[in-house]
Amino acid sequence: MAVTTDQVVLNEWVACGWHGQVPMGQSYDTVIFGQEICVSRKGAEEYEVAVIEENGATGRTLPVQVRYTCIFTTLGNPTRPLPVIAEFDEDDRRIIGCGSVGVRTSPYRIIENFLDMAHFSFVHTNVLGAPDQTEVLAYKTEHRKDVDEIWALDCKFYQPAASTASAGGQMTDYVYRVMSPFSVMLYKNVFGDPARNDAICLFVQPMAETECLAYMPMALVDEISTPEGIIDFQQGIFLQDRIILENQRPTLLPLDPTIELPTRADASSIAFRRWLKAMNLQFGIYEKQAA
Amino acid sequence: MGEFRDRWTAVGLEHQVEPGSSNPAIVDGHPLAIWRGENGQPNIWHDRCPHRGMRLSFGFVRGDTLRCIYHGWGYESGGQCVSIPAHPELTPPKTICAKVYPATTRYGILWTNLADEPSSPLPDLGPEEGWHPLRSLYVNCPAETTADRLRGADCGVPDAKAGNGGDGIATIETGSGLTLLIAIQAVGADKAGLHVVARGEDARASGQRLELARKMQRLRCALEAQ
Ligand code: FES
Ligand SMILES: [Fe+2]
Repeated sequence: MAVTTDQVVLNEWVACGWHGQVPMGQSYDTVIFGQEICVSRKGAEEYEVAVIEENGATGRTLPVQVRYTCIFTTLGNPTRPLPVIAEFDEDDRRIIGCGSVGVRTSPYRIIENFLDMAHFSFVHTNVLGAPDQTEVLAYKTEHRKDVDEIWALDCKFYQPAASTASAGGQMTDYVYRVMSPFSVMLYKNVFGDPARNDAICLFVQPMAETECLAYMPMALVDEISTPEGIIDFQQGIFLQDRIILENQRPTLLPLDPTIELPTRADASSIAFRRWLKAMNLQFGIYEKQAA
Repeated sequence: MGEFRDRWTAVGLEHQVEPGSSNPAIVDGHPLAIWRGENGQPNIWHDRCPHRGMRLSFGFVRGDTLRCIYHGWGYESGGQCVSIPAHPELTPPKTICAKVYPATTRYGILWTNLADEPSSPLPDLGPEEGWHPLRSLYVNCPAETTADRLRGADCGVPDAKAGNGGDGIATIETGSGLTLLIAIQAVGADKAGLHVVARGEDARASGQRLELARKMQRLRCALEAQ
C-alpha cells in the first residue's frame, strides 16, 4: 500500500481510533492514507502516535488529540483545527462512542450518505423514513467561509422512529454540518424537548482510497435509553448504510456532475462535491479515464 | 466507447430470471443487472444507477419498472427514469436514463450484446423449438479455453461427440439423438459461465433432464483440471 502524496488530505486531522480501544500501556497498529502508524496508550487520556517505517522501525511521532471519544492525528500540517462541538461539553449530555465499523468505499461516499435524507424511506424503512412519505422538502445549504464548513439548514423529514427515545412518528428537523472532508455531524431535534438537539458525529478514518473505518460519537439528551440500546440502534442503521456504500460504482467519488446525476434533494451533496473540487484534492476521487 | 466486441453472449438461462426480480451478472468484467417486470419482458442493463451509482441488481421491481434500492428512483424498460420519490411532483428529466443493452431469448438462453451498435446476428443452431434448459454452471477457466477443453471433456454421456456451434458456443451430440448446447459466458479473465440446454429423445422427461444436469457437474473437473 503506497502512502498518498496528496498534500491536501495529508494536512487534515483524521480519526485513528476510539478512546478506550486499548487498555493503558498497550498499543495497536493501524493505517491512515496508506501510512502504517502505531497508537500507544500512555495514560488514562494520553496517547502517542508514531509512523511505522517500511522496515518496521518506529519513525517520527505525530500530533495527537483525544476529543469526542476519538483519537485524532495528522501526517501533515493542519490548516484547520479540530472542530468545536460544544454539545460534548454540556453536563447533562449522554456521550456515547460506538466503536468503529469498516467500510470498503471512498471516505466521501460515507460522508455523503450521512448527509442524505432521500434514502431514509428506502434504506431505513419504517425507522428513519416511511415508505409513503418520501418527499424531501427544500432546504438551504451554505459554505461558511470563516470556518470553511458546509452547512445544510432547515432540513425536515418525517420519521416513524427517529431514535431510541421516540414514542412514535414525528417530523424531524435536521441541521447538517460538514467540518472537513473526513468529518460530518448532524443536529436533530430531541423527542419531547423542542429546545434542544441531539448531536451525532461521523468521523472517517481513511486507511486507503476505498478502505475506511467509521466512528460515530454522539452527545444525546436522553435519560431513558441504555447505552447498549443506543449503540445497537446506531449500528443497526449504519450496517444498512454499509450495504449501500459498498455497492456504489465507481467506489471512488466522481466530482464531474455528468457522471452521477443529482436532483434537488442532493443539494448538500452538490455543495459538498463543489467544495471538495475547489480544494483540489485527489485522494479517493474518481478521475474519468481520458478517451 | 467501443469497449466491447459486437457479439452476442449468453448471460443465463431464461427461466432463471423470475418475473419481479433483479439479478446480477458479469460479462467481460462489466457488471449487469438482469430484471424482469410483470409483463414478462427481460431487461439487461448496466448495473449502475445514474443517480449515485448504486448497483441496480439490488433494486426491486414494481409492475414494469425497476426501482433502485438507494433512493427508490424508478426506471421503465427503455431505461428512462420515471419517478424520483424525493420529489413526487417532479417529472424526471429525459437525461436521466439507465444504460440499456439488448436482451433476447433463444433456445431458452438469455443473450445480450454490449457493443455500442450491435449488428451481428444471433447464434443460429436451427429451429428454436425443442430445447429444454438443463442448468448453469460457473467454472474457474478462461472463456476462450473453455470451448477447446469442452471438446475432450467427459460429461458422462456415452458416445459423446463435441462440435463447435460458433463463437462462444459448444455442442455435444450423442448417438441416441441427444444434443447439448453449451453457451459460454466470459465472466472475467479466469471465469466462465456455461449455460446448458438439451434437445432430443433423452431430454424429454424431467427425470432425464435432472440426471443430465447432475452429470454436467463433471464438466467442472474437466475444465478446471490443469
Ligand atoms: S443511487 Fe439509485 S436512486 Fe439514488
Ligand atoms: Fe443511512
